[in-house]
Amino acid sequence: MKNSLIVFLKELKDTLRDRRTIIFMVAIPLLIFPVLISIASGMIISQAKKAEAKTLEIALINHGNAPEFRQQLLGNEKVTLREDIDENQAKTLIRHDELDALIVFDKDFDQKVEDLSQGRVRLLMKMTEDTEIEKKRLLKLLTDFEETLRMKRFQEMDLDESIIKTIKINEQNLATAKEQLAEAVGGFLPYMFIIFCFMGAMYPAIDLAAGEKERGTLETLLTSPVDRFQILVGKLGVVMLAGIISALVAMLGLYLGIRRMSDIPAELLDTVMSILEVNTILILISLLVPLTIFFAALLLSLSIFARSYKEAQSILSPLMFVVIIPAFMGLLPGINLTMGTALIPILNVSLATKAIIAETITVPLLAAVYLSLIILAVVGIYVCSKIYGRESAIFR
Amino acid sequence: MIVVKDIWKTFKLTKQQRKEKGNHSQNGKVDAVAGISFTCQPGRIFSLIGPNGAGKTTTLRMVATLLKPSRGSVTVGGFDTVKQPREVKKRLGFLTGTTKLYDRLTAEELVKYYADLQGMERSAFDKRKDELFTLLDIHDFAKWRIAKLSSGMRQKVSIARTIIHDPEVVVFDEPTVGLDVITAKNIIELIRNCKNEGKTVIFSTHIMGEVSLLSDDMALIHKGKLIYNGTYKDFQSQMREESLEEEFIKLIQEVRS
Repeated sequence: MKNSLIVFLKELKDTLRDRRTIIFMVAIPLLIFPVLISIASGMIISQAKKAEAKTLEIALINHGNAPEFRQQLLGNEKVTLREDIDENQAKTLIRHDELDALIVFDKDFDQKVEDLSQGRVRLLMKMTEDTEIEKKRLLKLLTDFEETLRMKRFQEMDLDESIIKTIKINEQNLATAKEQLAEAVGGFLPYMFIIFCFMGAMYPAIDLAAGEKERGTLETLLTSPVDRFQILVGKLGVVMLAGIISALVAMLGLYLGIRRMSDIPAELLDTVMSILEVNTILILISLLVPLTIFFAALLLSLSIFARSYKEAQSILSPLMFVVIIPAFMGLLPGINLTMGTALIPILNVSLATKAIIAETITVPLLAAVYLSLIILAVVGIYVCSKIYGRESAIFR
Repeated sequence: MIVVKDIWKTFKLTKQQRKEKGNHSQNGKVDAVAGISFTCQPGRIFSLIGPNGAGKTTTLRMVATLLKPSRGSVTVGGFDTVKQPREVKKRLGFLTGTTKLYDRLTAEELVKYYADLQGMERSAFDKRKDELFTLLDIHDFAKWRIAKLSSGMRQKVSIARTIIHDPEVVVFDEPTVGLDVITAKNIIELIRNCKNEGKTVIFSTHIMGEVSLLSDDMALIHKGKLIYNGTYKDFQSQMREESLEEEFIKLIQEVRS
C-alpha cells in the first residue's frame, strides 16, 4: 500500500504539472459549459429579439374586404403595408427576400362572413426555421382578427361561446419540476459527465503507460523493489482521480454557466440549483467512481500495448465512440432504468442519474447499478493487472 | 555476485517478424538468448559485448528481473531473479543509455522518488543524496526541472538515481550510447567508482575502447550464443589481430561462416 501511495503521489505531481492534461482535465470541462451556454443563449435571444423588433413588410390584397384588418395593419408601427402590387409580383419579391409576406383575402370574404360561413384568407411567405417568429406574429394578427369577427357574430346571434365549445379542457401537469427537468435534461447531464470523465482520464492514462514506455522510464521503475500490481494501483489512482476531477469540474462549469444566464426563469433556476445539492452530487460521484475505475483500467490496459504516445492516442481515441453510444442511449425517450438496463455499463449510469434527478430511483435498481459497476471495475483491474504482468505487453 | 546458468530466452515472433525471418524461425519463435552462462564477481567489471541484436539487452534484462528466462537461472547476490525478484531488486542498480527521465520532476524529486521506492529512510536518503550530489556536482541544479537540464546534467541525475540506494550490483546497458565525450567520461568514472567500492558491475557495449578501458572479465555473444567467456587479460593474450575491434570482427565472421 505504501509503495502504491509513493507511485500515486509522484504520478499525481507529474500529471498536475502537465499542461496538456490540465487543459483536458480542468480548463475544457470548466469553460465549455459557460461558453456554450452563453454563446447559444446569446444567439437565440438576440435572434428572437431581432425577429420581434423587425418591421414586417406585408403586401395585402383584400379586394376591399376586411377593412378592420387593413386598419389594424396600418395602425401597427411594426408593419409596413404595401397594396400596390399583384400576387405574382409579391411572390417574386418574397422569393428574393424583398418582402416578408403576402396576405390575400378572397373576393367574397366579407359576403361569406355575412352569410355565417367561412371566409378564406391566404398567408404566403417563406416558412423556414429563421422566419418562425415572423410567422407567429402574422398568425397572431390574423387570429386576433378572427377572434374579433367570431365575437361579433356571437353577439349578433345573442349566443354564448360555450354553445360551440362544448368542452373546456383544463390541463394540469402533476409531474414535479424535477421530473420535468430530468426528462428534459436528465439524460444530457450524465452524457456530458461520462464523456468528460473519459476524456479527463484518457491523457493521464496515455502519459502514465505509453508515455512512460516511450521514455524508457518504465524499465527503471520495474527494477525497483515494488510489485507491478502496486505500481498499477498507484497509476490507476491518478487516472481515476483525473477522470473524476474532470467530471466534477464539468459540473461546476455547468453550474457557473447557468448562474450566468440572465434570462433563465427563477423557478427553473431554483429547480436546477436544488439538483446540485450535496446529497445528489455525492450519489452521482459514487456512481462515477466505479465507472472511472473501469475507464482507468481499460485505458491503462490499452495504453501499455502502444509503443508510443502517438500510437496510444490513435488506439484510444476511437474508444470515445464506445463510450458515447451507451451514454447517448440514455438520452432517448422511452428507455428507462429497469433491472435489465441497470446491468448495461455506462447506460445504467446515464439512466440512474436521470432517475436520481427526478427522485424516482428505487433502492433495488440503484443497488443493481452499483453491483454491475463494481463487477465491471473489478474485472477491469484484474485484466489490467494481467496485462501489466505480461512481458510481451511491457516490452512490445 | 551475479551467477548466470545456462539461460535461454525464447520470444514469439510477430507476423511482421515472421515474414522478415522467413524459414529461419522455429514455429514462429526465436531464441534471443540460447544457453548462456557466466559469473560476475564483486569488485570486478564484467563486459558483455556483441553486435546489435546479439542478445546483450535481453540477457541484462533477465539479470535485472525485467524478463524471466525461458530456461536456466540467474542469481544476484544469492537470490534467484524469478523466485525472489524483490530481494534482487533491492540489491540492484540499473542504467541504460536510452533511458530518459521524468521531465516534469526536479532532479531532487526524481532521485527521492527512486529512493522512496527502494524503501530508504529519510535520514539515510539525505546523507546519501548529499554525498552523491556533491560527487556528481548536482547541488546547483537540484531544484531545476529535468526538462531544463542539459544532457550532461541529466546523465548525472540518472547516475544518482541508479545508485542512490547504494546497490551491491550495478547493471549498465550500453550506458554511453549517444552521449557526448564528456558525459560518457562521467559514466566511465561511475563504473570505475563502483568497482572500487567493491560492487559487482556488468555492462554491455559495442564500443571496444570502453572494453579495454574497464574490463576485468568479458563475454562475447553472437546470435544469443556465447563465443568467449573469460578474463580480459586472457582474451588479449589469445588475440590474433592487432586491435580489439579487428579481433572482435574476425571472431564474429568465423562464427557466421
